[in-house]
Amino acid sequence: MSQKLTRLLERYKQQHRKCLSLFVTAGFPERDATVDIICQAADEGIDFIELGVPFSDPVADGPVIQRASQRALANGIGLQDVLEMVTDIRRSTEIPIILMGYLNPFHVMGMDAFFTRAKTAGVDGLIIPDWPLEESQSCQAQLQAADLDLIHLIAPNTPPARIREINHISSAFIYCVAYTGVTGQDNHPTPEAIKFFDFLNCTLTHPWIIGFGVKTRQDFRLYTQYSDGVIIGSAFIALLEQTPLHSRKSAVRTFITGLR
Amino acid sequence: MQISMKNRTGYFGDYGGQFIPEILKPALRELETAYTKLKKDQHFQQRFRNELRDYAGRPTPLYYAENLTHHYGRGKIYLKREDLNHTGAHKINNAIGQILIAQAMQKTRIIAETGAGQHGVATATVAARAGLECCIYMGAEDMQRQFPNVQRMRLLGARVRSVDSGTATLKDATNEALRDWLVNVGTTHYIIGSVVGPHPFPTIVRDFQKIIGEETYRQIFEKEQRLPDYIIACVGGGSNAIGIFTPFLKEPSVNLIGVEAAGKGLDSGKHAATLGRGSVGIFHGMKTYILQNKDGQIQLPYSLSAGLDYPGVGPEHSFLYDSKRVDYHSVTDAEALSAVRQLCRLEGIIPALESAHALAFLNYLMPQTAQNDIIVVNLSGRGDKDMSTYINHLCQPQGELS
Repeated sequence: MSQKLTRLLERYKQQHRKCLSLFVTAGFPERDATVDIICQAADEGIDFIELGVPFSDPVADGPVIQRASQRALANGIGLQDVLEMVTDIRRSTEIPIILMGYLNPFHVMGMDAFFTRAKTAGVDGLIIPDWPLEESQSCQAQLQAADLDLIHLIAPNTPPARIREINHISSAFIYCVAYTGVTGQDNHPTPEAIKFFDFLNCTLTHPWIIGFGVKTRQDFRLYTQYSDGVIIGSAFIALLEQTPLHSRKSAVRTFITGLR
Repeated sequence: MQISMKNRTGYFGDYGGQFIPEILKPALRELETAYTKLKKDQHFQQRFRNELRDYAGRPTPLYYAENLTHHYGRGKIYLKREDLNHTGAHKINNAIGQILIAQAMQKTRIIAETGAGQHGVATATVAARAGLECCIYMGAEDMQRQFPNVQRMRLLGARVRSVDSGTATLKDATNEALRDWLVNVGTTHYIIGSVVGPHPFPTIVRDFQKIIGEETYRQIFEKEQRLPDYIIACVGGGSNAIGIFTPFLKEPSVNLIGVEAAGKGLDSGKHAATLGRGSVGIFHGMKTYILQNKDGQIQLPYSLSAGLDYPGVGPEHSFLYDSKRVDYHSVTDAEALSAVRQLCRLEGIIPALESAHALAFLNYLMPQTAQNDIIVVNLSGRGDKDMSTYINHLCQPQGELS
């Protein structure tokens, strides 16, 4: 377990501070854009970063992150490049970094080699959407040895018994998908979703953070009435996509300061 | 030969599994529970068999191709006529079985991916009959090369959604279908068209397709009073091959041969020979052989045949490949096309371009066979859908088909 993430989230819990994090696709919009974007996000008060490893077939993602992933691949980004970015970022900031990626690129590097290199580069945790409980179990010991948190996902259709099981094996926090769907859909929580969030608060012993469809300050306020924080992905990627390079820095500042 | 098929649930040896987002987990569990129950339900099995007989037109003939046999001058070549099924290919077997499961689970909406359009047509057909809403995902490139099937699906009342992402072929259509399922998981059943995807799909589709092999087994004994020496089938995802192979896996004297698409040649980089040139990876919910680059990105497959143009292969094939129970080879576009022409001229049968890959392998196999060897080729589909491809590629300058 990475103590850094756990400690950060515990401190926030005591302070009643909600966690605000951003998803960034590595190597998007340009190959060398990512280090600057993340260092700036850390300066502007983002609590942790979900760094997306581009993949050719991102089935859990909506069109915005699909496009970002395609562009990053066209920029020549591979897993090795992403790890080098993390090494670079670590020269400037200690902001927790969670790598989000589909399993195959990690599998091809070799899971043990990947865990070691990720830890050495300064990665704190992993989110792997196509690596559910049953399949990831066999790597538990290696993850622990490498001191990496594997962040498990739950969704509104996850059965209660399974949520308890996921809670039991989780460390740091649990990623709650706001709705059944892909990233970046427009969403407003239904009464059932709110009942689900209440259930999570009674059941989970770890902090839990909501992602998928969280886009604005209103969303941040709404969802953090229930959860310990949010992750904003597609809305931030869309901003990067639409903003010309020369005004990126100010646009990122406006976006982040407008969220809290 | 003793083959230990599964050491963990949902695995064939080291291959298979459920590498899917958490949102799909309840749906796969629901499907597994429903199917486990239905599999043992005599009423369900009887209904499945009845529909195959009365609606799909089974059993399909096992046809002795005398002219083709004389052409090679040895052995005895039989064709398993899956092309004579309703909707024109073996795909209907699986579609009939899965729509019955969807109805048992009280789903109101059906989705599917399709490459050549044969699975899309089969799904649209059974959905129309069941009165269920149906949405088929198809790559924009495939919609163009298999246009008659697009029209058929629309006529049958399905929505055909064009997929422009990636290579606009089967893999991208599958991605889009999976995304649709993530969004509509409560109401929708995803009828996967081949022995691919997360558990339990490879097993369910295999179970519905093994009727091909069961009939072949019975028919070859009726005609020849013995087992065949060779069985040949084309392999994209691999459902027609698994279907015909399954009852023969326990018969070590039967040589099983899967034929992949070598496209423009294995060394051209433009092929879909997943077992021939791929490596182990995780894709579309399964651990299996895939075509990928050194960074683990899925590579663009290529085959003139839309049904074989897929960068993965069913996990059971990966297992059968490693265990060497099945031999896998590949033939090029050009070899498949010349097999199309040959079967048209010798037997009066226009085969699907996919099935022509299995036929083309006869050129390699026949010279090595003994005089009285029996060879069965799975003629998985008919070629109506491929007419525009055949006109473009088999045309003489003056515009006549050669």
